[in-house]
Amino acid sequence: MLDFLFTGWGAFWMTLFMLVPFAAIFTWVVYRKSVVDSAASGTARKSLSRLEGVWLTVVFVVFVAVNLASMKYMPTIATAHAAASGQPLQQVDLTATSWSYQISIREIEAGKPVRFSGKSADTMHGFAVYHPDGRMLFTMMLMPGLKNPTSIVHTFNEPGIYKVRCLEYCGVAHHRMADELVVVKRST
Amino acid sequence: MTTATALVQGMPLFGRMFSVDKSTGLEEINAWPALMIMASFVWLAVAGLLGLVMPATQILDLNTDWYYTALTAHGAALAFPCVFQLMIGVGLHRSGGCVGKPITGIFPALIFWFLNIGSALLTVAILMGLSISLVVMYPLPIVGAQMGIWSMNAVVIGFSGIALVLTTMIVLYPVFLIRLTFFGEKRKDLQLAERTLQDPGMLGMILSAFTLLVSGTPLMIVASAVLLALYGIVPMDAVSWATEPVVFQYVFFIFAHNLMEAMALMVISAVYATLPLYLADGTRKLFSDRIANAALWILLLTSVTTFLHHFITLFPNQPAMLAYQATIMSWGTGLGAALSIFTILATIWQHGLRPEPGIIAALIGFVLYILDGASAMVTSNVAWAFMLHGTMWQSGHTMTVLVAMSMMWMGVLYHHYPVITGRKLDPVLGTWFVRLFAVGGIGAALVMLAAGAAGMPRRFAAWNQEGWMFYGYLILFFGLILGAAYVVYLYNFMKSIEITSSAGNRAASAA
Repeated sequence: MLDFLFTGWGAFWMTLFMLVPFAAIFTWVVYRKSVVDSAASGTARKSLSRLEGVWLTVVFVVFVAVNLASMKYMPTIATAHAAASGQPLQQVDLTATSWSYQISIREIEAGKPVRFSGKSADTMHGFAVYHPDGRMLFTMMLMPGLKNPTSIVHTFNEPGIYKVRCLEYCGVAHHRMADELVVVKRST
Repeated sequence: MTTATALVQGMPLFGRMFSVDKSTGLEEINAWPALMIMASFVWLAVAGLLGLVMPATQILDLNTDWYYTALTAHGAALAFPCVFQLMIGVGLHRSGGCVGKPITGIFPALIFWFLNIGSALLTVAILMGLSISLVVMYPLPIVGAQMGIWSMNAVVIGFSGIALVLTTMIVLYPVFLIRLTFFGEKRKDLQLAERTLQDPGMLGMILSAFTLLVSGTPLMIVASAVLLALYGIVPMDAVSWATEPVVFQYVFFIFAHNLMEAMALMVISAVYATLPLYLADGTRKLFSDRIANAALWILLLTSVTTFLHHFITLFPNQPAMLAYQATIMSWGTGLGAALSIFTILATIWQHGLRPEPGIIAALIGFVLYILDGASAMVTSNVAWAFMLHGTMWQSGHTMTVLVAMSMMWMGVLYHHYPVITGRKLDPVLGTWFVRLFAVGGIGAALVMLAAGAAGMPRRFAAWNQEGWMFYGYLILFFGLILGAAYVVYLYNFMKSIEITSSAGNRAASAA
């Protein structure tokens, strides 16, 4: 379930999870106290204060739980683990220029971590990798003028053709700035 | 008759909607705000049409350059001269009425002219080909000119316009609001409802003024240096410290992000001030001023460093530690929102509510604002940021926060309209506006978030890939509903009826 939660669609459902109960309660309270019975309620202030404590506790616990659960899925942490483990990495260097990429290796081995290191030669660009089924796996922001490349480690588990797109608006041909990576399965 | 009143009266179509009531003796707090409010709706009409052009160019497979022109012009018109100007207009009217001081003199005049001339210059530059999106994407303006996509003249005109807009938002408006609050003589004849800084309805106004001033100063310095170089007054080499993309991007988002937070502080403050006026039992008090103020302070303090979430995917150039800080602080703003939710609901629960269109519009705007806040928190989490950054999720977030704030301000304006113009609005049309806006706003927000979840890129002129056009049709559909809501809202102003009761009664009811 967590694997689904920390995807693009998982983010959408998480937003709905926070929104729908709030919107339902909000609508119910406003409707009840304006249309059904707008008279002052007899609810003691102390009871509302207690409810406030419960509400804030629930909100706090949900916020903390979601963010703690997300740690496993943070590319920053995966990158740190890969660096610390000393395991061999496939290295892909790339340079973005309006409106194309220079990519050092376009064929990648499935199941083996890859370090993507990218730079921009002119303006802001992105380097987003899409799964063959259309969902986005990750994106990197490439800013010109920086000494060090933007860099993350990612492991592709399934072979296929992965699309690359620029997701930082870079001018009138931005939508044509695309490329492909091929992930292959090699027998050991 | 003041210059501002004359300008409103001289404006075709819109002038009829916002002509100032001169019989109440309140022209000094009404005239410039009325002019700004009117101008904001003129820009809204422009922004609305451009907003519909964007999906239309994609669906009809028109020239992609038109899409990027519409994208840039729509964003520029909607954010600054429309929503921000509406906020300034209604906010200054409110503040003047709360502190009993006139909205006259050089400051409101400069605010109006700088903001509108600046926005017009930026629009001219965009029509000359400067397609740089709402957030400028520096160094794209310079790179585009070097590549011959647009001229350096367009860059100079565009940056001159941006400089005027920034001067308004970062210097003129906050300084005037601070001067209004802390200096000058109070006049009883202008005071509609006395408020102090302990009052949540006033606290948010002044917190937002300081936020704009402090968070915008670095951008003013950097943008001024770039502008001086563009004018040829200083050599480009002399301002290389300012033209570094990383410098410009960071100071830009320190301001741009906090601008949104400042606008949120201001509008929540306005809702805190307006809600008690519609309580059924006539209590005219929030559940707790202390909790309401705490929510504003939490929002202010947590939002200061949340701008870092714009650069999570720049890792490791932005260290992971700062990304985690951005995540924690972004979710911290949610605690402030939770307190606001509780304050508003507890107030309504305790005292009942008179469901008039103005306050219901403000409350629906608040629901939309919470939806937007939830989407912003999610995308600020480091794990989700890498999957959502640069997608339509972000466009949905930006669009929703602007629509939510405009709805809250339009609700507050609905309340203040009679005292500004001396005319009353039709509640049936008001109710239709609320219904259409709720469906259009929430629908468009959810569709754009879903499109982002599906990986659809933002600011991207090729929706005909991966089945994304489906979302394009839905965006157009809900956009048309939003457009209809705005038309109904403005039609209500056109059809407003002169109030025959005494001026004193009007002022009292508005307070």
